[in-house]
Amino acid sequence: MTFLARKLQSLGRHFSAGSPLAKFYPVYEALDTFFFTPGTRTPQAPFIRDSLDLKRVMTFVVISLLPCLAAGVYNTGYQVLLARGEDIRFLACVGQGLLKVLPIMLVAYAAGGFWEVLFAVVRKHEISEGFLVTGLLCTLIMPPTVPLWQVAAGVSFGVVIGKEIFGGTGYNVFNPALVSRAFLFFSYPARFSGDRVWVAVDGVSRATPLAVLSAAGHGGQAVSALREAGYSFSNMFWGFIPGCIGETSKFACLLGLVFLLVTGVASWRIVAGCGLGLLVTSSFLFLLRGPEALAFFSLPPHWHLVMGGFAFGAVFMATDPVSSCATNPGRWVFGLMTGALVVLIRVFNPAYPEGVMLAILFMNAFAPLIDHCVVGRHIKKRSARLKVFQGKAG
Amino acid sequence: MNIIRIHKGRDIRLPGSAERKKVSLALPSTVAVQPFDFYGLRLRPVVKAGDSVKVGSPLLEHKDDRRVKIVSPASGTVAGIMRGEKRSLSAVTVLCDGKQDALSFPKISAAEIKNFSPDSLVERMLVAGVWPCLRQRPFSKIADPGRRPKAIFVQAHMTDPLSPDLDFVLEGREARFHQGLEILKRLTPGNVFVCCSPAARSRAIREAKGVSVVGFAGPHPAGNISTFIHHLDPVGKGDLVWYIGAEDVCRVADLILEGRFIPRRTIAVTGEGAPARFYGETILGAPLRHLFPGPQPAGLRYISGSVLRGTDAGLDGYVCFYDQQVTALPQGGNREFLGWIRPGGNKYSFSRTFFSSFPRRAAAPVSLDTGMHGSRRAIVLPHLYDDYVALDVLTYFLVRAITAGDMEEALRLGLLECAQEDFALCSFACASKFDVGRVIQQGLTRLEKEGEE
Repeated sequence: MTFLARKLQSLGRHFSAGSPLAKFYPVYEALDTFFFTPGTRTPQAPFIRDSLDLKRVMTFVVISLLPCLAAGVYNTGYQVLLARGEDIRFLACVGQGLLKVLPIMLVAYAAGGFWEVLFAVVRKHEISEGFLVTGLLCTLIMPPTVPLWQVAAGVSFGVVIGKEIFGGTGYNVFNPALVSRAFLFFSYPARFSGDRVWVAVDGVSRATPLAVLSAAGHGGQAVSALREAGYSFSNMFWGFIPGCIGETSKFACLLGLVFLLVTGVASWRIVAGCGLGLLVTSSFLFLLRGPEALAFFSLPPHWHLVMGGFAFGAVFMATDPVSSCATNPGRWVFGLMTGALVVLIRVFNPAYPEGVMLAILFMNAFAPLIDHCVVGRHIKKRSARLKVFQGKAG
Repeated sequence: MNIIRIHKGRDIRLPGSAERKKVSLALPSTVAVQPFDFYGLRLRPVVKAGDSVKVGSPLLEHKDDRRVKIVSPASGTVAGIMRGEKRSLSAVTVLCDGKQDALSFPKISAAEIKNFSPDSLVERMLVAGVWPCLRQRPFSKIADPGRRPKAIFVQAHMTDPLSPDLDFVLEGREARFHQGLEILKRLTPGNVFVCCSPAARSRAIREAKGVSVVGFAGPHPAGNISTFIHHLDPVGKGDLVWYIGAEDVCRVADLILEGRFIPRRTIAVTGEGAPARFYGETILGAPLRHLFPGPQPAGLRYISGSVLRGTDAGLDGYVCFYDQQVTALPQGGNREFLGWIRPGGNKYSFSRTFFSSFPRRAAAPVSLDTGMHGSRRAIVLPHLYDDYVALDVLTYFLVRAITAGDMEEALRLGLLECAQEDFALCSFACASKFDVGRVIQQGLTRLEKEGEE
């Protein structure tokens, strides 16, 4: 340990002011504080500080994503072997999955890290840990067949336009990972929707459960349509279905959610709001089901929870504390409306079978407005209380 | 006694609280009066080095209202007038001669208090230099002698880490405290609130007459002035309240009844680094070395006040005018290997991201130091703040309004009710190491300036 500390210290000389590498000090600082916590002391009161820092917060979000990554790697390989009709063995699944997922992840981190470092150097601030989360999120919301250059383009767009031009982590209006995906989704629709992109084998086409229902039209039974296509509640829950890398296993999302809630890193209000909004809206549609109505209406509400990217989006994307609401009532509204919007887009919009990404981005845009209303109500309450006291005195 | 229960906030239990014993300390060899303590006054010295002074002789006066003056807590000779950056006055030091000769002022008997007009009482307090004991809200500055407040708050409860038990400090001074309350009652048409701990047992508090005694239960900041005011009689635009420390109430009574400025101050000597921990009876402006006698271990930070709101005075510095506690806190800044992923069974945190958070061991004190434990970042977790503020404010939005320079919005969000120390726990808890209290103070300073224009 002391050896490493000494090495880092001697390395630091090259980055100090006046040295040729001084510009790249943020890179050294990031490396240095990666190994050892910064040794700074409190300059004024409060003289004591909590042990929690943003590095730890971001690390914990990354840890919460690991189950999804593991399930995603396994399932990507599993789908490949299934499509090829080969024996399904655990190690073969993992191996195939890693072949597909690892390159995407490396490219996402390389592109994200490049922009983060560039902006830190040019704008002379420290490298923020936010890109560790963004890079992994970006990987997990890509279809396994995505070309790597598109990953690089998408992450670059998301990091630069979605985050850095606003001032970096903490100042962004939209979730940068979703900005990446929306950019790719609308720029290269053939690569991000349809039946051919979800299994990483050439020429294999499999519709996602949402696409199956979207195509089912009027009349008919949603559950039986899904069963015919080979989808059951349980394989959608465990994640043995085609889809984006990280979104398929709802069980993994659940593990991540438990971790985020136990450690208190994510807001339970947003997650609860999302779930409730989704269930209430889909229950309402379920009551209206019938031979005339869309087949989608007849889907039992709890099936909505395990379909598409809802679980992943609600747990890891809607809960982004920067781009969602900052007041507690606002968080409830934010969650409820996100959940409701997801169902509405899924059921009523024939162009996009999946609505999670759009719903969250849309609500990101509305978060400041929701907060504004909550703050306005707070101010009214405050002044009413003050008047009571002033009235007593007068 | 009415009890108000505070639910938000958190007690940080540090090791090193002062033992419940009062130790009479010898007179220090020097004392200092530090203009920085008197927020809102523009002070200039009225003595020069070498002048001889008595207890109660003016050392400094307020440029805008020469009736407001700061007096010497000791008799002796003026040792020096220290200047800091840009020649701003930093301290006036007095070499004590040990006699404590005091100026004498006219005195009145306890029974006569109600015959004196508020203005004449104020006049007596101004002349003898006890006036700065009274401060006002909004803005936490020295009270304006020309105005009368809608209420006066007496602070008889503190909840900062290791803070002194004011109930214990008042023991033996019950009569003076009650007489002081009588005087304060003359100064406001409204209420005098004595805000104490719900566990207060002293006769000083139990037997106070004609005032509202209110107990504040719950964690820190239950014992902050802003918390008292917010729950009992909040200040809006155009409102004015005064506040005063419990021991200073006795000082006011001493002056009016005895005709002397009595500089007595009880200071709790606390902190993990303090070799002896006790309640020291000394005088205002005592040097810290006087409270930490003998050889001191290295690697400590000496704070006048508490770890949440004190001043880094150093062992060679002096106790600030209003502080009733000094703390010796271990210096931190040890660099830890891979601190961001360690399970942290021994780390203290309000969050639940360390093993030490499960199960919550509320009873055991935890050792903390001056380490920052992280780097400065943009605010990413704005929801962290409101759990630690006992006022009805939306902290994050208040901070945003102030940084954006939107003073109108800050005012609507309740900035007038706030003080820097009310947000110390937010700064403590912030994962981005953002100093919330400092921004609040910047907002208050700006608001005050704009109000004057």
